[in-house]
Amino acid sequence: MENEEKVMSGEESLRVITEMINKTRVSITQSSFHLLFWGWLIFACSFSEFLLWKLTDWTNAWYVWLFVIPGVFVSLIYGFVKGKREKVFTYGTSIYVWTWMAFLVSSVILFIVFPVETDSVSKYMLLIAAMPLFISGVVLRFRPLIWGAGAFWILALVAHFGGETVSGLAMPVAMIVGYLIPGYLLRKRASHDTFQGA
Amino acid sequence: MTPFRELDPLLHSQLRLAIMSVLISVDSAGFSYLREKTEATAGNLSVQIGKLKDAGYISVSKSFGESYPQTMCSITELGRKKFAEYVAALGDYLTMGD
Repeated sequence: MENEEKVMSGEESLRVITEMINKTRVSITQSSFHLLFWGWLIFACSFSEFLLWKLTDWTNAWYVWLFVIPGVFVSLIYGFVKGKREKVFTYGTSIYVWTWMAFLVSSVILFIVFPVETDSVSKYMLLIAAMPLFISGVVLRFRPLIWGAGAFWILALVAHFGGETVSGLAMPVAMIVGYLIPGYLLRKRASHDTFQGA
Repeated sequence: MTPFRELDPLLHSQLRLAIMSVLISVDSAGFSYLREKTEATAGNLSVQIGKLKDAGYISVSKSFGESYPQTMCSITELGRKKFAEYVAALGDYLTMGD
């Protein structure tokens, strides 16, 4: 695009506008990191808690969730550093980032401020986590995230009606279905897009 | 026939229109991103960004990324209005041609 003063026909103008808008896509470079990081972290915490609860007499198995606190800082620092390197900020990226930030605030309130009993937290967490997952799927136009959100809603119901053992397994299963599988698929798509030069 | 009389001359240039079309779709975009999408040379792109900035169609800010300066561009309200008018005028022109 060298001749900046070239006289264009109406059709050429329309072609330039369409071509440029089509080239501007939602950035997904960061998305897979957060899904995989949180997927593995929450899977490890929830499954460890389940095993400690089932196999030992330790009554403070919920302590494993304290690993989430450094996880929040790792995630925020990674997002900040990568954000500084981003060459473009789309509206989709903003929606994606701020939806997850809103989820973080809600999670902190649910986990730390509200006096919710430990065994009933997972169904509420699954319910509120389904929303950013669903919105991310729509924004990134990535169906595995939308299916993951659907799985979160179903697993929240399962956790509510399924009894203690089933409820304890709902969270680790949700992490596999809603975060880890879509996260790896998203990473594959991102590397493919990079390879294609998109 | 009145060719392009109502079309904004500042926008009716291939590279400036391309820059505005990218910026209308995003919150903000860096110089390297604009260069990648428009496939323009750095010098040419810089000149055209300057013209759009002087007209108040876009705003340009400079910050330090890692260790290098980063130029970020975003469309202004005036730029958004002018782009909408350009597209509407283009629509009229293309309808006239049918």
